[in-house]
Amino acid sequence: MIAALQGPGTRLTYRIRVIEPAVTPRVLASGAVSGPLDSDMRLTLRTDTAEVEALFQVTAFGDTVTVTGEFLTRRLVGRSRRDLPLWEEDTYRRLVRMAWSDTARIYPFGTGKRPQGRSPWVELILERHFAGGEARAAERFELLDSTRDLSIEAVVRPRRARIILNLVRGDTVSGPRPMDLVLEEPARVVQLVLKGRATTLIVSLSRPDPARSARAGALALDADVVCLRVSQPAVLQPLGTICGRLNNIARQLPLPTGDTLAATFAWPGPR
Amino acid sequence: MADTTHEQWLAQIDAELDGELSLVERAALAKHLATCGHCAGARASHLEVRVALARSAGNPHAFVLPRPAIRAGTLALWLVVALAAGLVGGWFASHRWGAPGGGGTVEDTRGTIVVQ
Repeated sequence: MIAALQGPGTRLTYRIRVIEPAVTPRVLASGAVSGPLDSDMRLTLRTDTAEVEALFQVTAFGDTVTVTGEFLTRRLVGRSRRDLPLWEEDTYRRLVRMAWSDTARIYPFGTGKRPQGRSPWVELILERHFAGGEARAAERFELLDSTRDLSIEAVVRPRRARIILNLVRGDTVSGPRPMDLVLEEPARVVQLVLKGRATTLIVSLSRPDPARSARAGALALDADVVCLRVSQPAVLQPLGTICGRLNNIARQLPLPTGDTLAATFAWPGPR
Repeated sequence: MADTTHEQWLAQIDAELDGELSLVERAALAKHLATCGHCAGARASHLEVRVALARSAGNPHAFVLPRPAIRAGTLALWLVVALAAGLVGGWFASHRWGAPGGGGTVEDTRGTIVVQ
């Protein structure tokens, strides 16, 4: 499913403008997030009294598209007897169906009356176009009012990942062994040589377990986390599993041989 | 009071000396005392006892402190008034100083998506 969505051909763009209501509405920020058709967009708005985090996902169906927004809201509702701030947390989902290139207006703080005046809204336009081979996500965001705390980011679940493996023994490190692994595909055999001794491992890439917290699950905070399962040939019990983000940071797994396997996860290069 | 027993008349005498009898009851007691020497003597001895007690307490003049008469209806009325006042006060205090976050429904504060 994900492979089909991330295949060359269709590219999705979330184009947004954050607008402050006034006699002449003022644009506070504008930007765009694009990527494969299964790309999501995470939107964050913060004020002194409220925080809104939302994850927008689209499901294309012919000429229409369904936009789903998972909202997590925190509102300052007062102070405790010890004069500490009290926050109210709310989680909910909004769903709307629209045509491609329609404009949806998102009221992140609701449309009800508030004492601090009317809150900004977000204009969202969804576009799709053909772009052969470009599977990487891209972001562009321009904050026109620097006093505002707004941000958008692309959320893309990787279909494959670049893994660089090293064996470490004391202060000696084997040569890096880069490899592109596709998630949920059959395991591959890799051989690493350190000081003339070869170590054979079987590695496979999978997605992590579902998020434990509701916030992480709703906002897909672990979208770019992958898990590398490492085992030995002819041994059922795996040596271990290393999970991490695609952020070029090496993660280590001690091996029974006394060596340490260092695995670095990164996004694969563009095709 | 025609069927009133002797013990009840003695109780009425006590109540009369405490100032608790209504005018009608006092009239009935006076009528009975006019015909019942026993009760009249009892009343006189009650009075003497009270005078003696007052004197021993340093007061040469016996006197009677009337007890406040509380009727059941009045008591019930005040109970209802106090309960209502407590409910209204509690509701107001909860609204004013109770759990924060009031004002409007949750839906008013939630985000919405509108297609233009």
